[in-house]
Amino acid sequence: MKALGALTRAVKNVSRRKIRTFLVIIALSFSIAIMVSIPAGVIANQKATQDLSEDYNKIISDIQEEINKTATLIEIRASSGRPSAVPSGAPPFGFGQRGEAFINETVVDEIRSIEGVKDVVPFLEVSSEETTNETVNTPRGSFTISRPLYTIIGVPLNSSLIDSYTILPTNITAGRNLYDGDSGVLLVSSNLSDYLGIGVGDKIEVYGEYFSVVGIYEPAGQAATEVGTVYMNVYTVQSRTVYMNISDLQRITGNVGNTSRLDVYAADASYVDGIAEVIKTAYSELYVATYKDRLQNLERTQEMYQTTLENAESTLSQMQTVAFQEIVIVIDATSLIVLFTMLYTVRERTKEIGILKAIGFSNWNVMSQFMLEGILISLMAGVVGIAMGIVGAPLLSSLLLPSVNPFPTQQQGFPGQTVNFGTALSQSVTAVPDLQTILLVFGVAVALGAVGSLYPAWRAARTSPMEALRYE
Amino acid sequence: MSDLVLETEKLGKVYKLGGRQIRALSDVNLKVEKGEFLSIMGPSGSGKTTLLNILGCLDRPSYGKVILDSVDVTKVSERELYKIRRHKVGFIFQNFNLLPYLSAVENVELPMEGTGKSKEEKRKRARELLKLVGLSEREKHRPLRLSSGEQQRVAIARALANNPAIVLADEPTGNLDSKTGHEIVKLLGKLNIEQGTTIVMVTHDSSKAALAGRILFLSDGKLLEKEKQGTHLLKKALACPNCGREIQPNDAFCPSCGKKL
Repeated sequence: MKALGALTRAVKNVSRRKIRTFLVIIALSFSIAIMVSIPAGVIANQKATQDLSEDYNKIISDIQEEINKTATLIEIRASSGRPSAVPSGAPPFGFGQRGEAFINETVVDEIRSIEGVKDVVPFLEVSSEETTNETVNTPRGSFTISRPLYTIIGVPLNSSLIDSYTILPTNITAGRNLYDGDSGVLLVSSNLSDYLGIGVGDKIEVYGEYFSVVGIYEPAGQAATEVGTVYMNVYTVQSRTVYMNISDLQRITGNVGNTSRLDVYAADASYVDGIAEVIKTAYSELYVATYKDRLQNLERTQEMYQTTLENAESTLSQMQTVAFQEIVIVIDATSLIVLFTMLYTVRERTKEIGILKAIGFSNWNVMSQFMLEGILISLMAGVVGIAMGIVGAPLLSSLLLPSVNPFPTQQQGFPGQTVNFGTALSQSVTAVPDLQTILLVFGVAVALGAVGSLYPAWRAARTSPMEALRYE
Repeated sequence: MSDLVLETEKLGKVYKLGGRQIRALSDVNLKVEKGEFLSIMGPSGSGKTTLLNILGCLDRPSYGKVILDSVDVTKVSERELYKIRRHKVGFIFQNFNLLPYLSAVENVELPMEGTGKSKEEKRKRARELLKLVGLSEREKHRPLRLSSGEQQRVAIARALANNPAIVLADEPTGNLDSKTGHEIVKLLGKLNIEQGTTIVMVTHDSSKAALAGRILFLSDGKLLEKEKQGTHLLKKALACPNCGREIQPNDAFCPSCGKKL
């Protein structure tokens, strides 16, 4: 009952000085919002770093697995990058309009004749005519890049090849895969079918000609499809892709007789080095990648990932130090705000203290009255501050914490595009306070209210009633 | 058994101001009987408020004893004095000293906090007291919405909340106009008669002091030998001299023992 009376008086006292209470609550709320946001930011970045590490490990193991499966594969590309535009076709290694090169099909037969070569699978990769603008977030800001809407891969639909090698996607989610002799049909990646809103049986226009969609597939992990060249595009938008008969693609893009990639299969792994050597000598302008090259690439990738993770962990550690310092400052500030507010309140209400003591209030009654008011203010500020923290955590944490950019230099993305992939952490990390943090901060806010008002309340309790009654 | 509610023995208070000693009170020997309405008169600076503060345990004497309701309060520790103030003393101040953010009834309830009474009991008691001082209709009003006289009535009700052994009134009419002040002293007299409340009132106003039962004079911190009877009928005087039972002023014979008065 006593506590209830004290609480009622505390509520009345706090509410009768509305402007002061409002200003104090706003000031405290900011402190509390920061208390919520900073741990949320640190936790989000910790999680992002952990995810990054897990992603990298997954990518490395996927690539390793893929490389192990393709010991007899020699990859040959006309350029080091991806196709990006319509080629003009200039055999044997002509360059397209935007700089990509092609390999004339005559080379296929020549390579096939090298000793130890079992099969040569030609591919033609061409970008779609349509382009799309995509926003890339980097620590230096966001910018928009224009990229082809999708990539078209022409594959030889020859049962002797498609049955023996991994040429087509395997994860068909609707319709069917491409068959031997298919023409005028497409196999579409699920992300493209979603983007375009098309399904099996629909027709889409590709380079002025309509093709029927016979199947939709779910793209495998990016790493698995990029074996050999190992792009660092884990955090870029996954490619939207269309598969069709290579003859169709050559025809509609004016690339009859052109290919852009050859997969050369050796009869035995022991032939691989010899074949690669012959090809490199005969076609010095081609990029040749064997199992060993891919392993070397993988090692380089691993090193790059390792450096990236070390950078991330190092900056995360810096972030934690800064976060700790900021939390200490905020806790001090909160206590001081409560302390000075309550000291002022006690001074202002000296006479009231005298009255309370004159009518029989004990020191403890007086002390608890003022402490209750301090706690009440911090309680209200706690609610407001946590609400502000939940809404403003992404902004506050990015303002108050050093940004974590694990990618120290710009990485080369697609040919002709310089894309900074340092988006995994920092800006792209959204700090969302968890329930545990919220409850902890709420408890801390109330405790700081109690601590901050302890001294003023103690002073109030020690005030002599006679002197307090004289105070005007 | 003594009927004394309050007794002081050689009570003194000395202040030190800038190396100078100021004797605010000197050897005050005061006896207040139960049910008495006593007024202490004296000019400004005579030590009236100092005396009242010491009697009400708001201040400590430099020497001497204060025995309040059989307790030597000078020996009670500072930490425990609040219990004396809460249960044995009711204070009425010149400037009312009500809490502005509480209603009349809440102000009256205030001293009952920590006495173990339930919320309902406190509210009931506060309402009874407000009725006693004639403010039943104003219980929800905050002090600023009450007149000065009404505020002092609330303060009187508050002083009676814990049924104290003694009510100490420090210039209770000092902030009131003459008519209202007169009414307030009359109210104190009425409470003294009807409730048997022992009242010690200090004032510099002789017309108000005269309304008490007994008047003492304080001058330069000393209680003067002379004392006067006021116009107020002491409750004690309304007891039958033969059997000690209560009689009315107009009774010719004691209604209890039947003897002639």
